[in-house]
Order: sequence, then C-alpha cells, then structure tokens
Amino acid sequence: MRLGRSLYTAVTSIVACSLFIGTLSLRRNSGMEEGWCLAGYVQRLPAALVCCLVVAMGAILLGWYWVKLARAVASIARLFQSERASDVGAGTGVLACLRLSEMHKLCQTVREHLDHCACGTAECERQIKDLRIQIQLSQRREKNTEAIIHSIRDAVIVVDEYDRLLVANEAAGRLFGFDFRNSQHRPLNDLISEDRSEFADLLSHSRKSGNRATRREIQLSEHGEQRTFDCIVSCAYDQDGRVCGVVAVMHDITREKQIQQMKNDFVSHVSHELKTPLASITAYSEMLADGEADDEQTRKEFYSVIQNQAQRLNRLIEDILNISRIESGLIKVNKEPVSLAMLIEEQMQMIKGYAEEKNIEIIGQKPIVFDQVYVDKDMISQVIVNLLSNAVKYTPSGGSVRIQTEVDDVASVARVTVTDTGVGIPEDEIGHIFEKFYRVDANNKQAKGTGLGLNLVRQIVEKVHEGRVFVTSRVGVGSTFGFELPLATRQAAGIA
Amino acid sequence: MANKKVLVVDDEIHIVHVVAIKLRNNGYEVISADNGAEGLKLALRERPDIIVTDYQMPVMTGAELVEKLRQHDETKDTPVIMLTARSFAIPQEQQDDLRIAGCLSKPFSPKELLGNIEDILYQKELVPDS
Repeated sequence: MRLGRSLYTAVTSIVACSLFIGTLSLRRNSGMEEGWCLAGYVQRLPAALVCCLVVAMGAILLGWYWVKLARAVASIARLFQSERASDVGAGTGVLACLRLSEMHKLCQTVREHLDHCACGTAECERQIKDLRIQIQLSQRREKNTEAIIHSIRDAVIVVDEYDRLLVANEAAGRLFGFDFRNSQHRPLNDLISEDRSEFADLLSHSRKSGNRATRREIQLSEHGEQRTFDCIVSCAYDQDGRVCGVVAVMHDITREKQIQQMKNDFVSHVSHELKTPLASITAYSEMLADGEADDEQTRKEFYSVIQNQAQRLNRLIEDILNISRIESGLIKVNKEPVSLAMLIEEQMQMIKGYAEEKNIEIIGQKPIVFDQVYVDKDMISQVIVNLLSNAVKYTPSGGSVRIQTEVDDVASVARVTVTDTGVGIPEDEIGHIFEKFYRVDANNKQAKGTGLGLNLVRQIVEKVHEGRVFVTSRVGVGSTFGFELPLATRQAAGIA
Repeated sequence: MANKKVLVVDDEIHIVHVVAIKLRNNGYEVISADNGAEGLKLALRERPDIIVTDYQMPVMTGAELVEKLRQHDETKDTPVIMLTARSFAIPQEQQDDLRIAGCLSKPFSPKELLGNIEDILYQKELVPDS
C-alpha cells in the first residue's frame, strides 16, 4: 500500500510537472513575440499536449520500473535478514514475480548457501554438545577412577615407561613415605628410600621384560615392624603393543601369613598332642598283647596308663570342639547359681597331684561370705582348672601358685585371680596371650601346649558369661591371670 | 645284644616306661632322661651304645641334643634313633647333617623300635668305626 501511494504521488507529480513545463513553454513563446494571446495559444496547444503526454508516459514507465526495483530490493533485504526458511521462500516468491532471472539465480544461490550454512551450523552445534557431554563424562570417569584408586587400602602405584610416577594413592604414599598428591612425574627412585629399592627394581625389571603380570612377596618395614606384601606388577601397553607403563598393587598379607603360621603351628601342636597319648595307648596295648606284662600288677598298671591316655586324648578333642561350638554359638549352656569358692576347692583337689609332681605349692583362699555366680558349672570349672594347670606348668619346681576370690560389691562382680611365681610373659606378647593357638615363643621349651587353653578361658568367660578376663605379668617374676563374673544377684535382677 | 646300654630321652614318662620295659625284657640296660639337657649330661657321663630320643621336648629339643652330642668326642659317633610326633617328617637333609641312624613316627610299635635298635647295633659291631 505504501508503495502504491508512492507510485501515485510520483506519477501525478511528473504529469503535473509536464503540464506546467508545457504551459511555461507556451507562455515564453508568446511573450517573446507578442505577449499573452489566446489565438497563439490555441495554435500551439496540440504540440504542447503531445509533448506533455510523452513526458508523462515516460515518467509513468520509469515509476513502474522503480516500484518493481524497490520491491525486488526489499525482498532481497528480507531474504538476507530472514533466519527462517519460510521467509526465504516468501522472498523467492516475490522474486519469481519480478521475473528477473539474475535476481532469481542470486536468490537461489543465496538460499542454497544459507541452507548449507544452516546445516553446517546445526552440525557444529550438535558436535559441540556431544563434545561437552563427552568431556563431562570423561571428567566424571576420571574422578571416579581417582576415588576408586584412593579408596583402595592396598598401595597402588603407576609409573610411565621412564619409571616416573603417574598415579599413587594414599596407601602408597604412606608406605613409601612420599606426598602422593605432589609427586607426579618424578622418578620413582627419587621418591622411595634405598631400603625399598627391591620394589623399584621389581617395577623396572617387569617393564623391561614386558611380562603381562608378575607376582612376588616383598618384605618391607613399616613403623619399625616387618610386614609382608603380595606385590602384583602388570605392564600397560600402547596401541603398538609397546610397554608404556607399569601398574603395581601391593596387598599387605602380614596378617594372613601370621594366621597361616598359627594354623601350621596349631596343626603341628595338635598333631603332637594327639599322637603322644595315642603312642602310649598303642605301645602299652602291644605290650599287653605280646605278654610282656609278666604279673597282674604290671598288667593293671598298663591298663591304667591306656585309660588315662585315652582320657587325655578325649580332653584335647573336647577343648577343640568346645571352642568351635562357642564360636559358632552351638554350645549348650546350663546356668545355675554356684559358689565360686566351692568350685575352686574342687579344682584345687584335681590339680594337687600335678603340682606335687613338680614340687609346687598351691595356696588356696580364705572362705568368703557370698560369692555366688549364675554360671555353667562345668564351664567355669574348666576355666579354673585351665588357669591352675597353666600356672603349675609354667612355674619352676619349688615355686607356688596362689588362687584368690574377692567380691566387688560396687561393680557387683566376683573376681578370681591365679598368681604364680613362674617364668612370666614378655610385655609385647601379653596382648596376644588369649588368642587362639598363640604360644609365647620364649616359653615353648618350658612346657608343651596347644595354645587353646587360655582361648577357651576367654571364650567361656566373655562370650558365654559376659564376664572379663585379664592378665598381668613380669618376666622372671610371675604372672597373674584372672576373670570377673557378674554376681548371681545382678544376674537375677537382669533376668527379672 | 645283651649288656648294651640304651639312653631313652622323652618328656612323656609313659613312653620312657614302656620302652624301658621292652628293652629290659630283651636284655638291655636302660637309662632315661625327661629332657634334652638332662639327656646330654647322662650321655656324656654314661656313654650309652645307642640313644633313643623324642624330637619335641621342653628345655632342649631332640635335634638340639643330637647337635650337641656330635660336638663331643665321647658321643660324636653314638647312633641316635629319633621318635617324632610332628605332623611333618624330619627332612632327610637334617637327618644326614645330624647323622641320625633312624626315625620312628609316633605312635610307634615297641617291637619295631627294638628291631631298629638291634639292626643299628649289629651294623655298628660289623663296622666299628662307622
């Protein structure tokens, strides 16, 4: 509409101008010759009109082309400004109307270019989005890997093909004494001390040999304590199959080794303890069968030995089974109110013969008013006899063993202590003395044992009766072993 | 093999007793000790023809006893039979080093022990310097 109005204004302006110019022409001619004269005017009118008409037609034609040109330019301008394909289409529609082949070709080219650019831009945007996602995933994976490596309790060390540190976790830093966060790309030999060069040599050797995995046990001292590590070293390969680094994982197997050693010792001890009474039974039986016992008294003696050794064998097996039953919670417990003083008196009588053989004095306790505990009588008898027999076993001839009971009304417990004048226990071994199969090295030669007796004491007192065991000792002076049990009144209150 | 002296060393009094009866019934003189240290003293003093000792004993083990016996001229060639209740056999290398004449695992037969003693003493008589 705006364009139409412009056209109308332009054409009428041109026509008016043409008429005005024609009139002026008439006037100028008449003025020059005779002035204003109607007859002259009429005489020259057709020529002036024709002149005006020609000028007007030319103006109209010019205006028409001007309008078309303006529309085409406007369409192109819209095309360039438009970001939408629909706008481009609309633009081409206008151009088609113009029937300007050059413009049409130009528009087609521009449109194709724009289409291509639009596709390229969309592809770039998609790729940028993908890359961002991949970067995020990669960062997350890296963080996860780092978190996993740092959370592993085993020491993990990764070195490159030049034995420079790439990755190490906290455990590795602690074991080798370096700052694992700020030691990247430093040569491993600079980070670990010479006394641990065996590890660096292992890594270097693995890298050179190119073996996929190497496993070796390495001894390292940590906080002054010798520890054993199961070290697995694996080579990492690049795309061409060349070794580009080495990964080492060190698992502390000190405890496993100790347990294995304890098991071996246990098997050895138990084997000895089982075979010894069995050897007596076998030998005496054979002697009887072969008629080597000449008289009735000798035969009775042989039968007695066989019987005693069979009982000894049974006790050992029972000890092993009892520990196993208590640990698995399958033991049958018959609790009842029992006087500790009475139990101690009974067990003292049992151990008396053994103590006399070794010339050791057993000193009993004074009677006390109330020491009733709510316990399984057989189990606590076992505890007392184990403590007494241990005390006699590890006390040299001429020594003494004292057993005492006291009642702690405040804590509402009865406390039994067995004090000997024996060989004592080294300070660093006291903490292990109640462990299963544990035997004090220095005392191994003093007497035989399976390392089960004290463990059974602890299991019975602490696990079955919710009591407490304790020990104090000085090498060469003696030891005091003891236990506490809740008084029957407290137990009764608890039950009620 | 009458009048031959046998030293039996074991901390198990019943084993010492039964071995002593078996050997005495077969004409041997038997002396005994209940640990390695006592056994060494007795061996040096009594100079037995053969020693039967347990491997695992308090104070001094059977292996330590033999090691010490080999250090004394009086006992360096005395044949030793080792009794053992261990779960593992005594390594042959250790037997050779200590020149142990024979090993018997517990439980053992007194008859078998007697046979071993007689064989060893018989060979010793045939080749006195061995």
